[in-house]
Amino acid sequence: MTDKSDDAKEIKVDYTRLRIPFGPVHPALKEPISLRVTVRKEEILDVDIRLGHVHRGIEALAENRNLVQTLYLVERICGICCHSHTTCFTQAVEEIGGIKPSERALYLRTLIFELERIHSHLLILGLVGYDIGFETLFMFCWHVREEVLDLFEEITGNRVHHAMNTIGGVRWDLPPHLIEKVNVSLKKIEKSAKYIYDVFQDKTVEKRLCEVGVLSYNEAQELCIVGPTARGSGVSMDVRRDYPYAAYKELKDRFSVVLKYGADTYARTEVRISELFESINLIRTILDELPNGSISMEESVLKLMREIPEGETVSMVEAPRGELLHFVKTDGKEGLRRLKVRTPTLANILGLKPMLIGGEIADIPVTLASIDPCIGCANRITVVDEDQGEVRVIGLEDLRRRGRKR
Amino acid sequence: MNTIVALLATFPIVFFFSLLFEGIDRKIHARMQKRIGPPIIQPFYDFIKLFNKERIVPVTAASGIFTAVPIIAAAVSILGAAIPVVNLITGTSIVGDLILVLYLLAMSSVMVMIGGSSSGNPYGAIGFSRKMTMMIAYEIPMLISIASLSFNPCFSLAYYDVVATQIRMKSLLAFTRLSMAVAAATFLLCVPAAADAVPFDISEAKTEIIHGSLIEYGGPYLALIKLAKAASNFTLAFLAATLFFYVPALFEGYVSLGLGVALCLCLVTSLIFMLLTTTVPRTIFARLKIGQAFKFYWLIPLTLSMLSVALSIVGL
Repeated sequence: MTDKSDDAKEIKVDYTRLRIPFGPVHPALKEPISLRVTVRKEEILDVDIRLGHVHRGIEALAENRNLVQTLYLVERICGICCHSHTTCFTQAVEEIGGIKPSERALYLRTLIFELERIHSHLLILGLVGYDIGFETLFMFCWHVREEVLDLFEEITGNRVHHAMNTIGGVRWDLPPHLIEKVNVSLKKIEKSAKYIYDVFQDKTVEKRLCEVGVLSYNEAQELCIVGPTARGSGVSMDVRRDYPYAAYKELKDRFSVVLKYGADTYARTEVRISELFESINLIRTILDELPNGSISMEESVLKLMREIPEGETVSMVEAPRGELLHFVKTDGKEGLRRLKVRTPTLANILGLKPMLIGGEIADIPVTLASIDPCIGCANRITVVDEDQGEVRVIGLEDLRRRGRKR
Repeated sequence: MNTIVALLATFPIVFFFSLLFEGIDRKIHARMQKRIGPPIIQPFYDFIKLFNKERIVPVTAASGIFTAVPIIAAAVSILGAAIPVVNLITGTSIVGDLILVLYLLAMSSVMVMIGGSSSGNPYGAIGFSRKMTMMIAYEIPMLISIASLSFNPCFSLAYYDVVATQIRMKSLLAFTRLSMAVAAATFLLCVPAAADAVPFDISEAKTEIIHGSLIEYGGPYLALIKLAKAASNFTLAFLAATLFFYVPALFEGYVSLGLGVALCLCLVTSLIFMLLTTTVPRTIFARLKIGQAFKFYWLIPLTLSMLSVALSIVGL
């Protein structure tokens, strides 16, 4: 009898704590990510982040393809920032091959890049609105975003996967009548962006965003947070300014890096809204100063690809979500030995834990949206063995062996 | 006996109008967001579709409570909606029926809460606690605003007495006395929370706790709960429109107006009040957090309701 009572004493169940599964399927999530949140009433005590629900093995696939095929493959890492991925990849390949694209091609790349930033930021601003229950703001932002998508369709032929980049240049030119059209659309977008800025000043919106998901300057630096998330915490970093690529070298003085010091969800949202205006101005400058010339190399892409020697390099761009990094190692025989993609979300997702702990359940979706996560970008193979409680990363050889078994 | 027959006969009318009101609400909400929106009779389609779906009861649920709750909720809220309509048509005044209607309204919310907590889902439990907090916040000012009616001479807590007084005075109750204007404002402020509309839909926040109490419900059970919600929204709008703003009373020769026209006028006013208190806020506001909503209700509507009681006692 005494033994039993001792056993009962040892098991301490804290009934005030509740562990709730946030995801992988949840109305606030557009892509699967799993947060296991421990709460007491509404307060968050602990967060456990789990990735890996949409792993597609793109890095492994890239090793079995030639460079041009891989170009289309990396475009499919993500739908929103597809141009960032292709730019990053082509830059790396061009650096290895010593190819210099024409000025006009670089400017056009930058143009699409900035348009993509506008459309990505509008998307996430809408989602922030949706997550705080402001459906009208969500509808409005996505309505404005259609304008950019229509421009993409006119310029490149595709609304989402633009396939604009190619080794040594771009695939589509910008004729004068389209320049006019872009200008007209930009005017509309600017007007709407001003309106969106006003709506975000609304009292109920401010109440939901201010002092929520705070990530201090020091934490942001320690965790190597990138992009608008870092700039919202006052960390001055922007690949466009620090390591200029494409046409940003020439446009260095034509844009400023938006910095906010609020460190909360509202600051991150503010950074994105201000960047909309920066991007609009930058696009106008590009349209005014668009140099003449050809947009791609005279030789065919396949010929260029065959001439690319063995080599390796790291290429960086500032995607809408932050610093995107590609490590490319070519084998000199049209193909790749290794492709490593470090997406901004992978860096930013670490910031979620300090942001969420101490907050309320109601803050989870909006904090998650404020780092603009792209889960499809960020997934790598990790096997979590729940029974033994161990985490191991499966290498490529192991994967191949498993593949052969089937 | 006649009253009971009339009450049963009103059930289909209430069913029809509450779902129709929901359809109009959804359509106007969509138009304000630059969307086309669903057809006005979409809630009827939804109801029929959901009713023909499979019944699923989760393993973790206390199945008895889980399945009984939607039926009780729907029955209670339709009854709550039918009582004022019947009393208005037949012109009978039952002492204290306003208290009964408010009780039935609260009952349907409580039923949905219990259903959520019996589902065994942690989100249901969070929905329960949030709804509980919200009910404490808005039920008290709402009850006081209705109770303040009885502090005035010649008013009582019988629904038809209040309507009859307005007919006699040929004026809208909210405009007769200052205390009644304050009471009307309190009641209208409490409607969005009672109707679970943004900014006060905290207990069923879709993006936060996946509809809270409703999370495990599907098929016929969900259809009944949706009906219950539509019926209580209808009741709230109808009460606001007839208790404080009985428009037919403004017309000369009320008797010659005819009951049909008077009822139509009431329905139109209640539709307008529903649009003002439910559709517009849910289009132009973001959802508040539970603490913020609680603070709002205990700061403004509660003070207003106290003020209305005080003014009534003074005789304004």
